[in-house]
Amino acid sequence: MTEAVASPRAAALRPGRAVLIAAVLAVALAVPLGLDPQGYPIRVLTLTLLFAAMGQAWNIVGGLANQISLGHAGFFGIGAYASTILLRDFGLSPWLGMLAGMALAALAAAALAVPTFRLKGHYFALVTLAFGEVMRVIANSWSSVTGGPVGLSVPFAPDSLWMFQFGAARPYYYICLGALVAVTLVFWRIKAGALGYRLRAIKENADAAEVIGVDTFRAKLQAGLISATLTAGLGTVYAQFSYFFDPDTIFGVATISVRMALIAIVGGVGLTFGPIVGAFFIIPVEEFANAALAGRAAGLSAFVYGAVLIAVILLKPEGLLALFAALGKRWRERRR
Amino acid sequence: MLEVEGLHAAYDRVEVLHGVSLTVGAGEFVCVIGANTAGKSTLLRCISRLIPSRGRIAFMGEDLARLPAHRVPGLGIAHVPEGRHVFGGMSVEDNLRAGGYALGRRADLETPLERIYALFPRLAERRDQLAGTLSGGEQQMVALGRALMLSPRLLVLDEPSHGLAPIVVAELHRKLVEIHKEGVSILLVEQNVAVSLAVAERGYVLQSGRVVLEGRAADLAADDRVREAYLGI
Repeated sequence: MTEAVASPRAAALRPGRAVLIAAVLAVALAVPLGLDPQGYPIRVLTLTLLFAAMGQAWNIVGGLANQISLGHAGFFGIGAYASTILLRDFGLSPWLGMLAGMALAALAAAALAVPTFRLKGHYFALVTLAFGEVMRVIANSWSSVTGGPVGLSVPFAPDSLWMFQFGAARPYYYICLGALVAVTLVFWRIKAGALGYRLRAIKENADAAEVIGVDTFRAKLQAGLISATLTAGLGTVYAQFSYFFDPDTIFGVATISVRMALIAIVGGVGLTFGPIVGAFFIIPVEEFANAALAGRAAGLSAFVYGAVLIAVILLKPEGLLALFAALGKRWRERRR
Repeated sequence: MLEVEGLHAAYDRVEVLHGVSLTVGAGEFVCVIGANTAGKSTLLRCISRLIPSRGRIAFMGEDLARLPAHRVPGLGIAHVPEGRHVFGGMSVEDNLRAGGYALGRRADLETPLERIYALFPRLAERRDQLAGTLSGGEQQMVALGRALMLSPRLLVLDEPSHGLAPIVVAELHRKLVEIHKEGVSILLVEQNVAVSLAVAERGYVLQSGRVVLEGRAADLAADDRVREAYLGI
């Protein structure tokens, strides 16, 4: 059995791990100070942190509740559109718009959950995929509100925390770091808490969970709502960071939905640090492949990116964290 | 205590139970025997509400047919599902504690836990081991212990001896008799006809979704039809 299913009571922080987390966090806080606040590296890092947070939000429903969603772009886009439209039409602070988007995403998730949670495996994945696509079509065709295929620009405002707008990338970096820490804490609380216990029982055996009295539908619904709500909040962060988005990117299957799942799966699905490791692998590899190979042959960068992902999954289907653990073990054995 | 009347159940459109009726009295040990595909597991899954059905199911006057599955254990019915289905990735003790889930957050789990460890000393020895790494017999003990955490009024067992060595089966049934003596009613479903009729007080023979024979266990064991069809004598 892997770490993913270790006893929750054993999930309490070990001292060594706490020191490691504190060190990584200190480095994460210090890094932007040494980088050009407008530069390319800090933008990539900010995006990586944001995608790590998104992967972590996905991990709640995909990793803990074991429901593979391929439609999280739907919630992500709801967050982005809600805050941006409220800002454009009413001058509302994106922080408040974020709350509105989160509430809307929770409603959408609840409406989606009732017919879909009875579905298993790939049927569930297909329905969520359709949900994301429906949202994309709506955004494309409801031009009077969403701006249609042209997309939406975030109205310009001078540097202001209240209006969630900054000239440099550095404040966004810290906001994304904060978001990642917050989502990770939520994930960890759920995993180590009563809901995590229920979800693990359902994951291992739904019938056995029911006959001991676990309301499997309710537990999955709670996880789904929390995951969707957090994803919508991150959608607002993305909109404010990128200033512009259109339906095809924000509701994109490959750009958002699959990437969120991929980040969690490649890092280690269901593990607290899986999406973080996954994002810090996938986003830089993608950026590097784009930067280094884009000029060569058409599609070469996508090909290299795909090949790297396939290699990881072939090497260790449980993800990078498991791969690192195996490599570390082998290395220690060889030294002996 | 448990009354089932005219129970029909179907998978998709194929009906597998055609009007089954049975009762379990307070403190009774009842077994349902029959060949594979007779509908024994389906019957239990209906009682636990894991699948929908038509017909009356009442437990201590309460209409079960209207309840969702997760509400059933709260009434005092503990189901040990077929194929054990322990939570393999959890420790033995966590599996047992999970069994007390329906009792609520503030329930005292220590008393039933001690009682189960006393009944199965083997589980006490292995309390921190992952349940998935235990032998089949031990996993069955975990599944049984998990059900007993509820201090149930009715214990429902689905093929507990399936895939176990004869010596383990004998031990398991000794435990069931012990549990029954403490006042727990038992509804046991088994393919292993000889053993179940030896421990139960009363029995039903299920064939192709219908009760074809019922009576005292000793009478059934002596019945020519049962002996011929199931005991191979």
